[in-house]
Amino acid sequence: MMPNRPLSIDLNDVTKTYRGGVHALRGVSLQVHPGEIFGLLGPNGAGKSTLVKIMMTVVRPTTVRGEVLGQPVGHKSTLARLGYLPEHHRFPAWLTGRQAIEFSGAMCKMPRKLRRRRTDELLDLVRMTEWGGKRLGTYSKGMQQRIGLAASLVNDPQLVLLDEPTDGVDPVGRREIREVLTQMRDQGKSVLVNSHILSELEMICDRVAILVQGVVARQGTVASLTKSSRCYEIISAATAEIGSTIENAEFESLGEGRSLIRVPTDDPIAIQPVLDRLRAGDVMIESVLPKRESLEDLFLRSVTDPSTGVALEPGANRSSDSDVKTFRKSDPDSTDGGDS
Amino acid sequence: MIQTLALLHAAYRELNARKLFWVTLALSGLIVAAMASVGLNEEGLTVLWWQFDLAFLNTNIMPVDVFYKFIFANLAVPYWLAWLATILALISTASIFPDMVSGGSIDILLSKPIGRTRLFLTRYLTGLLFVMLQVGVFTIAAFLLIGFRGGSWEPWILISIPLVLLFYSYLFSICALLGTITRSTIASFLITILFWLLIFGVNSGEQVTLAGRTALEISLQYSQEDLKEAVDAGDPIEVTGPLQEMCDEDQESLDTWESFHVWFFTAKTILPKTDETVDLLERVLRDRTGMEIGGPPERQEMMFGANQRISNREFRDRLQETMDDRSVFWIIGTSLLFEFAVLGLVCWYFSRRDF
Repeated sequence: MMPNRPLSIDLNDVTKTYRGGVHALRGVSLQVHPGEIFGLLGPNGAGKSTLVKIMMTVVRPTTVRGEVLGQPVGHKSTLARLGYLPEHHRFPAWLTGRQAIEFSGAMCKMPRKLRRRRTDELLDLVRMTEWGGKRLGTYSKGMQQRIGLAASLVNDPQLVLLDEPTDGVDPVGRREIREVLTQMRDQGKSVLVNSHILSELEMICDRVAILVQGVVARQGTVASLTKSSRCYEIISAATAEIGSTIENAEFESLGEGRSLIRVPTDDPIAIQPVLDRLRAGDVMIESVLPKRESLEDLFLRSVTDPSTGVALEPGANRSSDSDVKTFRKSDPDSTDGGDS
Repeated sequence: MIQTLALLHAAYRELNARKLFWVTLALSGLIVAAMASVGLNEEGLTVLWWQFDLAFLNTNIMPVDVFYKFIFANLAVPYWLAWLATILALISTASIFPDMVSGGSIDILLSKPIGRTRLFLTRYLTGLLFVMLQVGVFTIAAFLLIGFRGGSWEPWILISIPLVLLFYSYLFSICALLGTITRSTIASFLITILFWLLIFGVNSGEQVTLAGRTALEISLQYSQEDLKEAVDAGDPIEVTGPLQEMCDEDQESLDTWESFHVWFFTAKTILPKTDETVDLLERVLRDRTGMEIGGPPERQEMMFGANQRISNREFRDRLQETMDDRSVFWIIGTSLLFEFAVLGLVCWYFSRRDF
C-alpha cells in the first residue's frame, strides 16, 4: 500500500433509498487505498451492489459525499480509469470474446491499436486466446466470467470493482484470478471485490468492510477485526484442577484424559507461564496452536443480532436508522481497527 | 467518436447476427426481382416470357419508365417498405432497448465514460440503421431496375430512403419509449403496433371526413349556383324554394362534417403522419419527374349530399389539391416534433432511472 497517495475511494455518508422507501444504504463511509485489495462483504440485500453501482454511475445515490480516484462520485470522465465487472454481466451473445473486450476498450475511448494489443494481452492473461474468436453464446459461465474480467481490465484501470468475479469459475481459474488481482495490487492499483466466497477474500484482501442492512458494520484489516478473538489453544492431559489455577483461561475436557485450555491472547510470551505451569505439573502437552476467528466467523458474527442470536433476514428493509445503528454500536469491533 | 463508432459497429454485428435481417433483405431482393420480371410493351403486359395483351395497360397508355415508377411509388414502397418490411423491422429492432436495459448489460454500458442521453440516442440511431440498410438496398436496386428496364435514370427515386426512414423513426421512437419503460420486447412491439393502428384510424377518419367535407363543398357550390341562376332568372318561389332548401341541407351537412374533420385534423396534426410521409414520394416524383398516373374514366357520380352531379375527376382533383396544399413542414415537421417529444421523454426517463 502507498498511504501517501490520495485514496482511490473515499466515500462518506452514502445513502440510497429506492422507491417504496426501501433503504438500501444508510450512510456508508468507505475508504480504499491505492495498492490495496478491499473486500466488500455482506448478506444478500445488504447494499453491496448498490454501493458499487453508485460508484459506477449505474444507480443514482440519494446523498453522497466523497470521491473516486480524486473526482466526485458520478464524474463521467473518471470512469475511463475505472474497471467494472458487474454480477451476472451480459455481453451480447453475437460478439466474440475478442470483440467484447475490444468493445469495452472502445467505450473507454481507447485508440484501436492500443485496445487490440491490450486485448491480446488480456486474452492470454485469462487463458482465453484460443477461444477469443468464438461467439460468447458458445461459452460456459466460467469462460464468460474470464472474458468479463478481461473486459473490465482492458483500459488498464487504476481502480477495478469486481462483483462476484469468481462466480462460475473453476478452482484453477479462481487461483488465476486471485493472481491477477494480486499483480494489480503490486502495481499500485486498487481492487474492490464484492464476493460471498469468504475464504477467497481472506486469502487476498488487505482490508474488508462488512455491510449489514445498508451500513458498514465493520471495516478494517482481517487481523484487526479478529483481534479480540485471538487466542492460543493448548491441548494437553491437564486435569480440571490444574486448569482452574490458570488465570483468564477457559478449560474444556475433551475426554479420554485430554483437555483444551484456551488462553485469550495473541502474544506468545503471555502463554509461556501457562506452559511452565503445565510442565511443572508434569502434564503432557500435545499441541499449542495460535487461533483466531476466520473471516466467515467474523461475517456470521456481524450478521447475527447479538440480542437474539438469530441471523438477520436477507434484503434491505424499511426499518428506521436507529434500529440498525443500535445493532452496529453494540459491537466493539465495528470501528476500523487498522488500515495500514 | 470512438464510442459512437464502437456502438455502430456493434449494431452492425447485431444485424449480421439476426436472421430476420437477412430474411427481410432476401424478400426485398425477391420483390425487386418480381418487378424486374414484369414488363410493358405496345400490346400489354409481359411477365417473364409470357405476354398478356391488355388494352388499358400498354406503352401507348403509359410509358414504360412511368410504369416502373408507378409500381415502385404506389405498390413497392407503401405495401412492402411501409407495411410488411416495417413490421419485420419492428420485430427485429423491438428488442434493442429491452436488451440494452436488461440487468448485466446496462451495467456495462453505463459504467463507461459516456453520457446516458448520448448512449440512448446513439442506440436509437443504430436501430434506424436496420431500416436504412434495408430501404437503401431496396431503393438502389429499384433505381437500377428503372434505369435499365425503364430507360430512365431517376435520382429522385432515392428520396424514398429518407422518407421511409422518417416514417419508421416515428414508430421506432414509440417502440424505444415502451422498450425502455417496460423492458419487454413483446410489450413494446405489440403496443407500437397498436399505436400504429391508432394513427391509421385517425388518418382514415381524417380522410373520410375530408372526403365528405370536400364532396359537400362541391355540392353546396353547385346548389348555390343553381339557386343564383334561378333567382337571376326570376323563377317563382316554387322553383327557388326547393333549391334554397337543398342549399340549407348541404350547409347543415357540411357544418357537421367540418366539425368532425376539425377534430380528426387536430388529432392528426399532433400525431406523426405516417401515410402522408410515405405519400410524399409520389408527390416528389410527380413534381420532379412529371410522373402522372391516369385515373379511371369519368363515369361515376358521387353520392355525397343532395347534389349528385359531382364528377369523380372533379372530386379527386379537389381532394388532391387539398392534400398537396399540406406543406412538407406540416407533414414532416409536426411528425418530427412528436418524435422529438417522445425521444425527449424517454431520454429524461433513461437519464434518471436506476438500473
